[in-house]
Amino acid sequence: MSARRIRLLIWKEFTQLRRDPLLIRLLLVMPVLQLILFGYVVAVDIRNLATAVVDLDQTSTSRKLEAAFSGSGYFTITQTPATEDDLRPLLDRGTVKVALVIPEGTQDRLNRGETAPIGIIVDGSDSQISAVGSGYASQIIAQFNADRMTEQGVSVTAPGIDAQVRVMFNPTLDPVNTMIPGLIAAIMMISLMAIMSQAVVKERESGTLEQMFVTPIHATEYLIGKLTPYAALATAQMLLVAAGGLFWFRVPFNGNFWVVLVGLALFMLTCIGLGLLVSLVSRTRHQAQQAVMFIMIPTMVLSGFIFPIQSMPAIIQPLTNLIPLTWALEVLRGAFVKGSGFAALAVPMIVLAGFAVVIFGASIVATRRRIAE
Amino acid sequence: MRNALVRIGAIVRKEFRHLARDPRMLLAVVITPVIQLLLFAYAISFDVENVPTIVIDLDQTQTSRTYLERYEASTFFDVVAHGSTMAQVDAAFDANSARVAVVIPAGFARTLASGEAAQVAVLIDGSEPTAAKVSQAYSVALNQLYSQQLTRQWADQQGLDLSSLGTLEPRIRTWYNPERKSSDFLIPGLMVVILAIVTVQQTAVTLVRERDQGTQEQLEVSPMRQIELMIGKLLPWTLIAFADMALITGLGRTIFGVPLRGDFWTLALGSALFVFASLGMGLVISAIAPSLDTANILAMLIAFLPAFLLSGFAFALDQIPVFLQWVSYLFPARFMVTISRGVFLKGAGFMELWPELVALTVYALVMLVISSVLYGRRSAR
Amino acid sequence: MTATTTPQGTGAIRAHALRRTFGEVVAVAEVDLDIPAGAVFGLLGPDGAGKSTLIRMLATVLRPDSGTAEVFGHSVTAERDQVTPRIGYMSQRFSMYPDLSVAENLEFFATVRGVGRADRRTRAKALVESMGLDEFTTRQAQFLSGGMKQKLMLATTLMHEPDLLLLDEPTTGVDPVSRREFWRILAGLHREGRTVLVATPYMDEAERCTQVAFLDRGRIQRSGSPDEIKGQVPGQLLEVSLPEPRAAMAILADVPGVTSVHLLGDVVRVLWDADGDPEAALTSALAAAGRSGRVRKVAPDMETVFAYLAEASGAADEEQAS
Repeated sequence: MSARRIRLLIWKEFTQLRRDPLLIRLLLVMPVLQLILFGYVVAVDIRNLATAVVDLDQTSTSRKLEAAFSGSGYFTITQTPATEDDLRPLLDRGTVKVALVIPEGTQDRLNRGETAPIGIIVDGSDSQISAVGSGYASQIIAQFNADRMTEQGVSVTAPGIDAQVRVMFNPTLDPVNTMIPGLIAAIMMISLMAIMSQAVVKERESGTLEQMFVTPIHATEYLIGKLTPYAALATAQMLLVAAGGLFWFRVPFNGNFWVVLVGLALFMLTCIGLGLLVSLVSRTRHQAQQAVMFIMIPTMVLSGFIFPIQSMPAIIQPLTNLIPLTWALEVLRGAFVKGSGFAALAVPMIVLAGFAVVIFGASIVATRRRIAE
Repeated sequence: MRNALVRIGAIVRKEFRHLARDPRMLLAVVITPVIQLLLFAYAISFDVENVPTIVIDLDQTQTSRTYLERYEASTFFDVVAHGSTMAQVDAAFDANSARVAVVIPAGFARTLASGEAAQVAVLIDGSEPTAAKVSQAYSVALNQLYSQQLTRQWADQQGLDLSSLGTLEPRIRTWYNPERKSSDFLIPGLMVVILAIVTVQQTAVTLVRERDQGTQEQLEVSPMRQIELMIGKLLPWTLIAFADMALITGLGRTIFGVPLRGDFWTLALGSALFVFASLGMGLVISAIAPSLDTANILAMLIAFLPAFLLSGFAFALDQIPVFLQWVSYLFPARFMVTISRGVFLKGAGFMELWPELVALTVYALVMLVISSVLYGRRSAR
Repeated sequence: MTATTTPQGTGAIRAHALRRTFGEVVAVAEVDLDIPAGAVFGLLGPDGAGKSTLIRMLATVLRPDSGTAEVFGHSVTAERDQVTPRIGYMSQRFSMYPDLSVAENLEFFATVRGVGRADRRTRAKALVESMGLDEFTTRQAQFLSGGMKQKLMLATTLMHEPDLLLLDEPTTGVDPVSRREFWRILAGLHREGRTVLVATPYMDEAERCTQVAFLDRGRIQRSGSPDEIKGQVPGQLLEVSLPEPRAAMAILADVPGVTSVHLLGDVVRVLWDADGDPEAALTSALAAAGRSGRVRKVAPDMETVFAYLAEASGAADEEQAS
């Protein structure tokens, strides 16, 4: 291996990169923009759900109930239709996601000591909203009942369970804290793979790859030369995007800075390597692009970024371990949210490193085979 | 006009020939999306069930065990471990082997027997917010129910009549998706996402390939108008992607039982328009891109994340900043997800969805015009 | 298949002060052209001379920065739609669809050009036969040899029977046999009355043109019929064959009456512009140096003529500069 040749290759790549300003912009500027753009989308918490209230009772009790809902912060009452029939178009069109129906005679029933049913309608076409919305609604009603009992002076000293339900690590349950780190990784992965996959194919199509291999250049030298400038740019990107996530969205950072850095760096290497591998085995640029798509769609869907792995069928769950992003998410979420250190995250880190090693090994083999052809 | 149609026909025939000569492309465009849909529709879900739970019973009495049985019996909680120290809870959370921990302190049974409320700690791993929220709601509900039962038992023993207290009882109805199968919710959206990614890619490649091949000049010296070329290139792909959509819809219905409650023709029209619009977007990308690999990269970056994140597929869009809502309308997938969900789940038809259909039509036309103009200007003159 | 009648002498191409730059580079500078209908016009010049740029401007594919150009009386910039139906343009790079067959390429471009179905069939058949492509009609264009590719491109441009053909280096990179065939076809087109403008770096092809122009660094250096141009070279051309021709060049250059000496392959070309017997003078000069070789008169060929003229203008430029 010749250090001189490697330096030469690196210089060549840098020169080519510099001549392509669009590429630099794509690598550095676009990811940050995407982070900010999509950050707002993934960080949305389920609150202020548009709610309609059909108050057929029109009593102080019903109004108090309404107030309990609107005061909770979870529901925002935007419509007050007169009848239940008026609800249908509102829900159909999605104007409201939840509806509260207080039947006539509710207050009377309560005063007589009977149970009074309250109708809660949730828009089931969005299962997250319906699950959480109905949960909140039940909670509010339960609280309303308890408050009413206390008001009436009934202190029931009776056995019961006083459940202290505490949420660890993310007490506000703000999705920002878990989604932004994931988004950082997803954005990095996409931009790196998109760009790397075209890196080598371009040369193959234009014939310069062949030219290169009639020189004494070794496969490893070629790879190192190709990778270094991209790795440098990718590192810059990683720092920019991570900083953007931290400062723009004020994601609370409980953990070890080095853990995040090492985790991201390993992941970055894996992405670059994977893109390069695709680039090496593809014959045309179009093929490379197809291959990248083929890899990335399952990655987005199955890595746990959007859909919890836990909710996946048992057969599929082990498959998710084949996806590098899955492990990167564990590291990032662990570090950001739980403050986990190297010890706790040893397994995912080692797996990520393993991915990088295997992928680069495969790249070297693929490059050698190209030379031999 | 007749000549224009003849020319468009020539382009359409040619594009189909290209496709026939490249079976791998056909595979990628038609088969792969279907396979991906089948796989992912099976895999993805927001339904939270079988949440791994670790229980620490520091009381070890019959009473505490009876209480814990509630968790074991619940379909929501999945008791995976019984521990004896708090350190085990920390370890379980760190390793993600449990997401909920229930800790029963010593003296639990004694407190209950003396007629007081006993404390129980329920710890929830907040690193997956949706699951955590639902876990929170469920544990609160479980405990309330248990409490009420205990109170009633006690009242019976004491001979008290609690029925003079009125309580509100929530009756929850879920519209459109009564079983709350999130797959019904996700699959109509997933179809759109997959197609959005695949279609934008396609045209981003075909037009640039024309330029690279050198045939572009020959077309310039002919009477062919730029817009005829665009339409001719888009039509075959529209047909193919539309066939894709029909196939996926059929499979979604038969294999996953996603109900089709609304008007099929609205869905069909929406699909055709959506595909045309996505292809148009791909055209604009390739018109802007200075070279083929940039076109590829741009197409990937522009089509991919927005399809997943800005279309309303997995993340609700009504709470995001207004500016972003406007941005989401730059992507046709946004409209199509509304149409898809509306027709499948909400039984919607033309009456409800005409704004989205109009939006897609406008989008498609605008993209066509923009790319024609850009392409006209770009050809080396 | 005859060309639409254009009265003889009416310009097929008339261009005045055409100019085109690409950034800093002046590709075509102040070019005038007057090409009558029915001519076979050769545009000669080295690489980078501006031939392609010029042709593309005439083909309406490239817009001139300044100057005017008219094809059959219609402006290439303002009346493009009247120009394009009457021209056929063959570019330097391969411009067919590689994965479509010969027949499919012909059919596609003819349809796009508005040729009716019946005409398409008959013309395609005739063209394919006359060009020797009939065995390859179903072969994909990417699998054709170099010469076949050029023929395919030519056939495609002929499908709509244009009156003017603009060919940009149609024979570059093609084997000599195919090149001859190609020119045979061009000769046939000439007989039909079509006008042909062909750019070529091959000087020998210039002989087959009715008119030639030499383009260098964006300007037309010389133009006229081949004979006229040859006539511009004063004197007699002789060819000397001998071993070690390079060494002999210096000797021959010193002979009084010799105006220029060139090495062509392994023979030396000598230009003699004086009275007397050049053969004798050269032979004796060689003998005096202890060498001998065959000396004979030859007719001037375009290559030598242009080399001489280029040299002469170079020398003139130097004189002007000093």
